[in-house]
Amino acid sequence: MNDSVLNRRRFLTLTGGATLAAGLAACTGTGGDTAAAPAGGSGNGSKELRLFTYEDNSTIDLVKAQVKAFDAQNGTTTTVDSLPGSGAAVYPDKLRTELLGGKGPDVWRIWGGQIGAPFVKSKQAMDLSSYYTKFGWDTRLNPAAVQGMTFDGVKGGVPFIVNGIGGWYSQAAFAKAKISAPPKSYAELEDMNAKLVAAGITPLGAGGKYGWHVMRLFEYLLETSAGPELHDKLLTGDESWDRPEVVTAFTTFKKWQDQKWMPAGAVGLDPADVELWYVQGKAAYTITGSWTEAQGIQAGGKKSADFGVFTLPTDHAPDRHSGFVEGYMVNAKAGNPDMAAALIDFIVKPDTQKALKVTSSAVTGAEPDKSTLPLSYEYSQGAGKQPFYTIQDQAFPKKQADQYFAIQSDVLQGKTAPAEAAKKMQDVIKGWKK
Amino acid sequence: MTTVAAPPEKLKPGPRGGFGTTVGMTIAALVWISPLVLLVITGVRPLADFVSHGPLSWPGTFTLGNFADAWNIGNFATTYRNSTVLLLLKVPLGVFVSAMLAYALAKLRIRFGAAIMYTVFLGLTIPIYITIVPVFVMARSAGLTDSLIGLVGPYLAFGIPFEVLVLQSFIRQIPDEIIEAAKIDGAGPWRVFLTIVLPLSLPALVTVFILDAVATWNEFLFALILLNSDASKTIPVGLLNFQGQFSNNSTGLAAGILIAVVPILIAYTFLQRWIVGGLTAGASKG
Amino acid sequence: MKRRTRHGGLVAWGFAAPALLVYLGFLVYPALNSLWFSFTDWDGLSASYNIVGVDNYTSMVDDPVVAQAALNNLIWAVVTVVVPVVLGLALAVVLNGKVRGKPVLRLIFYTPAVLPLVSVASIWGWLYNPQYGAINAGLRAIGLDSLAQPWLGQDSTALGATMVAAIWLRVGFPMLLYLAALQGINQELYEAATVDGAGRWQQFWHITMPGLRPAHYVVIALSVIDSFKVFDLIYAMTYGGPGTATQVMGTWMYFNVFQYNQAGYGTAIAVVITVVAIAVSIPYVRSQTKEASA
Repeated sequence: MNDSVLNRRRFLTLTGGATLAAGLAACTGTGGDTAAAPAGGSGNGSKELRLFTYEDNSTIDLVKAQVKAFDAQNGTTTTVDSLPGSGAAVYPDKLRTELLGGKGPDVWRIWGGQIGAPFVKSKQAMDLSSYYTKFGWDTRLNPAAVQGMTFDGVKGGVPFIVNGIGGWYSQAAFAKAKISAPPKSYAELEDMNAKLVAAGITPLGAGGKYGWHVMRLFEYLLETSAGPELHDKLLTGDESWDRPEVVTAFTTFKKWQDQKWMPAGAVGLDPADVELWYVQGKAAYTITGSWTEAQGIQAGGKKSADFGVFTLPTDHAPDRHSGFVEGYMVNAKAGNPDMAAALIDFIVKPDTQKALKVTSSAVTGAEPDKSTLPLSYEYSQGAGKQPFYTIQDQAFPKKQADQYFAIQSDVLQGKTAPAEAAKKMQDVIKGWKK
Repeated sequence: MTTVAAPPEKLKPGPRGGFGTTVGMTIAALVWISPLVLLVITGVRPLADFVSHGPLSWPGTFTLGNFADAWNIGNFATTYRNSTVLLLLKVPLGVFVSAMLAYALAKLRIRFGAAIMYTVFLGLTIPIYITIVPVFVMARSAGLTDSLIGLVGPYLAFGIPFEVLVLQSFIRQIPDEIIEAAKIDGAGPWRVFLTIVLPLSLPALVTVFILDAVATWNEFLFALILLNSDASKTIPVGLLNFQGQFSNNSTGLAAGILIAVVPILIAYTFLQRWIVGGLTAGASKG
Repeated sequence: MKRRTRHGGLVAWGFAAPALLVYLGFLVYPALNSLWFSFTDWDGLSASYNIVGVDNYTSMVDDPVVAQAALNNLIWAVVTVVVPVVLGLALAVVLNGKVRGKPVLRLIFYTPAVLPLVSVASIWGWLYNPQYGAINAGLRAIGLDSLAQPWLGQDSTALGATMVAAIWLRVGFPMLLYLAALQGINQELYEAATVDGAGRWQQFWHITMPGLRPAHYVVIALSVIDSFKVFDLIYAMTYGGPGTATQVMGTWMYFNVFQYNQAGYGTAIAVVITVVAIAVSIPYVRSQTKEASA
């Protein structure tokens, strides 16, 4: 590695690249002569913090108010910068550039799984194990969520949101197709789909641009056909994908498109549009997280009582659903890491979580408000207490997740047969593990 | 060669015989603009109506309230000011220095002209994405992150290649005889540039000005990377405020986009008259 | 090729310097800084990386997505250069002539170019919606039900559907440049031709087209380069999908640098894009410098 640094520096000198070298050195600490430059927005032991997040205009003021309360208690000054947006692309780009440029935030919000992983693997984010001990986070946070913020054994982040994916449906659509109750088994779910199609209703509102709903459907079918144990081994590459269970999942998957259980051309539809179809009466249900109650049902001026939520039945015990976590990380070169950790600890207190109106908190004792969000509350008390598997665009690195989705897209279009898809998937996993 | 003072448009013969063309063009224009109807409709319906009926339905009710909401959510009071300041700082300066370089390339027989042209082409072809980390590092070492001034340098640099290539092509068309005649009258290079080259290139200058103004007004990536605080954000970054992680405030966004583009369209309507407005005395080739 | 010996000397450099300095400082220099990473396996975040020589370049040969992206780029270049340039030229000629409401018409055909891409992607996504979109609804209304399809949701139509939106966006650009160029054609030529009894079509071929020759060069050169660099419209409309059906070199570079943590490989793709675009610009620069010395 010394070699490459040397060569890099020589090259940069040749191209007059001193600025970049200094910048990289400042943030990575490899430069020796320039490594003393302050890393974040804050100096050593300073009382100044910068928090970077992706709250939108409905929640940013709540965050700022809570941070202010923290500042008042601790005599700190915390700047909150937010970059709202569908985020998974734009926000990490900006975060990454700031970190590389040596001006990263002290604390940032990030998704778990493979979106957060690169920040920990590249050691831009701090190992928080000692703070886990100090603040007792292990006992206060959902253990599965903590797992989602642990990377190769390193506790690189503190989760505060754990989103579980369930089936959200319209009572009116069910009534129209004479469906009395949500399905309890996968066979019942298929029956239900058939009834809905017969009644002229698209069963599942699913949009697959970026993968989203279509991938949620496939991972559910895979959990159903493979069961929890095998599914987990597939995700880690410990078992081959070239096996009957996977072929079954792909075969069933294709059936969903062929039987018109989801919209034609679902892979090209924008999930933000399609996710609302069950609210608009264009589909019977969708598979999504609890945010849909506030942002779908209630934003559309409808009443929660006219809708419902069910666990997608996998016919296995435990009946797992897919889920993902969001949390906070601390800059490995934060000027005052103790204070940064204290800020996170403040945020993951149940009272703060309630004040932030988090609908699916990973914090014990911060359930959604039963009176305003009855369905989210119901979900948190039922399926929400069940274990979950990581949604697959976070279970794999982005590249493999995209290849995975490309295979799914080909299967739906009939370009790849299920057996072949299972083989291709095994190649993807082999390429990743290599 | 002849010097023609083209008459202003109004004085040209009326649209005699243009009836068929007018009808055809009107139909084409209606087709062309029709997708925008969706944007306008979305902007004038309540969010609940949009969420509960979808984008392709006729609104149950109409409202202008989105515009007031959008003004606040998009922080337009600030972003408008920032974008305008940036545009006024950057675009005239960019067009002017580009015209200077274009003049040097087209008429001053600068040494290594071809090499400069290739270098300028290089700038058109480099994907902006691979430069953002170095640019961020430069801005940081100059203390210019989170500052509009920090954007001016990169914006100028990414506008220059395109402006130079267009302008040099037009400036080349100016007859050498006009320039020679001025020189005989004792005009130096600056006077030739300011009193002959620039006025004769007016249609091209205005065209480039419009294209550059639109690009600056809509520039997203550098603004996203270099600006942090709400006080320094520009319009495209402010528009992100309408997008949530899982759902968008689509009606607010549509209203916000209309707020964002209307001034640039008004400016365009005004400026395009100078492209074709008959102010180009002496526009002819020998 | 005869070259005049007299150069502009220092005066010429004085005119060139401000733009060149800004350009070299804020564009060429950062770009060169990044060039190095195309010879490394840098992930885009870590402090360390290894030098891998030209591996990133050779592995492009084995990357099936690169092959697909290159083909898509080629199709994209042909369609989104030819169609907007021809339409833009036609619009410029018509809107420079005898039509009522020219300012409004010029505004309408230019308006799409002003819109932020996020709205372009939403609007066209809605229009292309297989079940509720205006395009399929229109086809069904005129009895062409069989042609209605999930335009953005299948490999066979996604690129074409995206190109339609690109054409819609891009027509204003050649239109403006041609409008400006038309002002440089001597009106007397048309008057003389009319006196001689030449029809409009003859006038177009014998006066307008030759008069626009320099404009053709610059419009086509800029359009071709733009088509090679295309990134954000595709990214916003299809995200490169379904699968990798609409990946182009620009999006594939972006995915590698920013999403796959393969900054070295992505930078190599960027270098290839740049080299190809430069190669394409050679005839243009030649034509310009040749004319200068002619």
